[in-house]
Amino acid sequence: MAECGFLAKEKINTLIEALAKKFQVFVPVLEGEVVLFRGFESGKSLCLSRPANLPPKGIIFPASDVLFRFNFQKDPEDPKKVSVELKENRDFPLTIIFGCRPCDAQGFTIYDRVYLTPETVDPYYRERREKTTIITLACNAPFPGCFCTSVGRGPATTEGSDLLMTELEKGYLFVPITEKGKEIIKAAEFEDGSPYQEEAKKVQENAAALVRKPFEHLEKLPQKLLSLFENTQFWEKEAAKCISCGACTYLCPTCYCFNITDEQVGNTGERIRSWDSCMFFHFTLEASGHNPRPNKYHRLRNRVNHKFSYYPQKYNGVIACCGCGRCIRYCPMSVDISEIVAHAQGA
Amino acid sequence: MSMVNNPYLPELATVVKIIEETPNIKSFQVVLNDPEKMQRFSFQPGQVGQLSVFGVGESTFVINSPPTRKEYLQFSVMRAGEVTSALHELTEGDPIGVRAPLGNWFPYEQMKGKNILFIGGGIGLAPLRTLILFMLDHRDDYGDITIIYGARTPNDLCYKYDLKDWEERSDVNLILTVDAEFPGWDKRVGLVPNVLKEVAPSPENTVAITCGPPIMIKFTLQALSALKFNDEQIITTLEKRMKCGIGICGRCNIGTMYVCKDGPVFSLSQLKSLPPEL
Amino acid sequence: MSIERLREAVKKILPEVDVVIGYRQGFDPLHATPYFISQPEQVDQLIWNPLCVQNLCSYLPFLKGKVGVIVKGCDSRTIVQYMQEKLIEREKIKVIGVPCLQVISVKKVMAKIDYQVAEEVAFEGENVIVKTPKETKTIPLAEVMPRKCLTCQLATPLQYDILAGEAIQANKPAEAFEEIKEFEQLSLEERRRYWEREFDRCIRCYACRNACPMCICQDRCVAESRDPHWTSQRANLTEKFMFHMIHSVHLAGRCVGCGECERVCPMDIPVAKIKKKISMDLKELFDYQAGINPDDLPPMYTFKVEEAKIKEHEL
Repeated sequence: MAECGFLAKEKINTLIEALAKKFQVFVPVLEGEVVLFRGFESGKSLCLSRPANLPPKGIIFPASDVLFRFNFQKDPEDPKKVSVELKENRDFPLTIIFGCRPCDAQGFTIYDRVYLTPETVDPYYRERREKTTIITLACNAPFPGCFCTSVGRGPATTEGSDLLMTELEKGYLFVPITEKGKEIIKAAEFEDGSPYQEEAKKVQENAAALVRKPFEHLEKLPQKLLSLFENTQFWEKEAAKCISCGACTYLCPTCYCFNITDEQVGNTGERIRSWDSCMFFHFTLEASGHNPRPNKYHRLRNRVNHKFSYYPQKYNGVIACCGCGRCIRYCPMSVDISEIVAHAQGA
Repeated sequence: MSMVNNPYLPELATVVKIIEETPNIKSFQVVLNDPEKMQRFSFQPGQVGQLSVFGVGESTFVINSPPTRKEYLQFSVMRAGEVTSALHELTEGDPIGVRAPLGNWFPYEQMKGKNILFIGGGIGLAPLRTLILFMLDHRDDYGDITIIYGARTPNDLCYKYDLKDWEERSDVNLILTVDAEFPGWDKRVGLVPNVLKEVAPSPENTVAITCGPPIMIKFTLQALSALKFNDEQIITTLEKRMKCGIGICGRCNIGTMYVCKDGPVFSLSQLKSLPPEL
Repeated sequence: MSIERLREAVKKILPEVDVVIGYRQGFDPLHATPYFISQPEQVDQLIWNPLCVQNLCSYLPFLKGKVGVIVKGCDSRTIVQYMQEKLIEREKIKVIGVPCLQVISVKKVMAKIDYQVAEEVAFEGENVIVKTPKETKTIPLAEVMPRKCLTCQLATPLQYDILAGEAIQANKPAEAFEEIKEFEQLSLEERRRYWEREFDRCIRCYACRNACPMCICQDRCVAESRDPHWTSQRANLTEKFMFHMIHSVHLAGRCVGCGECERVCPMDIPVAKIKKKISMDLKELFDYQAGINPDDLPPMYTFKVEEAKIKEHEL
């Protein structure tokens, strides 16, 4: 049994059809000019030519998710007495995310350190994470805004991936990274991939060399950013053009902040977890009216610091940014986080 | 699916008693519906809990009954927003959700043998109360206990029943004050930080623990510094908008610390090492 | 209009204001980005070309002090609408108008260059030339014009204190809402299916809302508030629809057609279409177009007992 597998390009759909018998499979598809992840439908073609607009984070960390349902029950013996029943909501089928980019998958490792700690485990996240196999597609070239090599990753990074595909001339080389990846190789029909390993290595190295490098040497950055915290002028300048929407955070594979709200109709309701953004005014707004981050420059400073200072300080220098460039590509005003970091280094 | 080990799932509880402390502050005594869980429930003074009004939401409050008194858990709520207003509408016997204990606690072990100076304003007495009662239950472990507590008017003083008790005790020095003259009030008048300066307690072998509105904290810290208390000797407990309460949702952080998980109790020296984002 | 003339104009007003908002190159040659100029040395980085798409006026209601701003014709409608709604003090703003016949839809260019990295961009005559690692592509500007430019009548801005260039005539047919009228030929069911398909992609990032110059209560938006509680945080079609309906209706009679909402949507949802439909209805009902005459009052601000074109129900 070969360690790695090769599949001709024409056979990809057959592979997915086979996988779809046991898993729910999410694939990138083209809708208009937008690439996003949808449930695989037989006959529909995949779009593997560029990264999705929206990363597949919503499959493991849904945009909105019911944590539990509650139900008020009145006691017929005593009308004033009300009790509550809670029902958790956790079922998730075996899932495959197929064809996301390595940066998209790497984002989940950022979540793992926060959601799966020794003291506290987020059971909803764990359920989905454990049941999902991620098959990534290495990039042959960078896309506008990308800078993955500057944050310690690259177009073929294996962090967070179970199975890495590399696009070659005649087909794809599949290299398993984890046990889950090995299961996929065993489960489906692949040719022996070993003759293609050299070609794949060249493709990956070429791609990495093309990625732009807006900054380097991030070891001192966490402390540098802390030293800039009270430099109001610096942050006001960087944040001047930001319009405080949530596009950067919602499209970011490593952003994991959420809100919890209750919704009720009649006697039943749900407690919902939903995406939230530290860039919104209300994020830290307290009931008294006090807001620790009332200005957009406070919030931008917090976002940059979280990714490049606070998270690395807590987790052994790991930067909470995968360098996918989406925040730059889709920012309405082209705020460039890589430029802000470069400015901070030079400040 | 197993219902255990889900940190987002509240324990079902019932409100057994509601005390109207002031016109906008109520204390809720709650008992977990599962008697075994209530029996086994343990927490440290300073830890907080999230109270759920199902259909409205959750909010964080310090558990201000002491860990040594286990018949109920008490939370004091000032009416300010959506959840606190809904809590104020509850009546005795109503269901409530509790996610507790969360966060860290007052480092009372390190305070043994020391003099304790409590400085509280308004509802800021709530987290201090749990520690005061805890210490009074272990009175011999601690030196002098001084409590400086003030509010805008006498009606805004919380825990009037405790204050009466503490005033009468000989092993506690209680100094009460209100911000301005008030008919019927014959005790001290003055803002808490000013009263602190007047009383001028010695920093010698003393720990100062303070909680109250941000403006009071600001001037209290200044006064303590003028009295030569160093940053290690000063402890406070913070408030932030919270949602998950377990250090995941990303909103209550000050730098690398989450107020819900790494706090809410912080020493001043810890706070000074964090970015100034209160 | 030369870039020199624009830079001169900025240098001229800089001493009179705290900041001048213009454009400089963004993260790659295909993207311009707003540039806040407070020092004369910064003026050399100022650029002007069809990639300068952002509506810089959106910053004005939130800035204190005296501000200079570079505006195209479409942007100038924002200034006029702000004057109608008293959202700015016109005397505190120094407007540098720039004549413009079209900008570029970067999304359309990206589609034409296969989403490759743009290494170089040049403008020659009626074309934009983009060099990527795969090819050098010459694209006629007319093919990458955003929808709003197709019917633009404001080649010269309506409001300016300095005009950096010669006033020019518009060369496009006037807006006749053909796109909307064509769309309304579809059955209700077909229209519903269209919008369900489009809004399904919405991620409620609020880029459209925050980029909108007329949406100034962004920090306290009713689409996110719990009091009043009109929407939930559920990520389903109903809630997405509701947000977009609230947003569009709140813009009735106020939308200046700058197209920013649609430009900034990361999921390519044609959100401007709804606002255009409402603008069309308002033109018919009240003979009103937002952002044209500073002395106008938006129709949603006024109440007349008898409206010329609204037939009241007869008792």
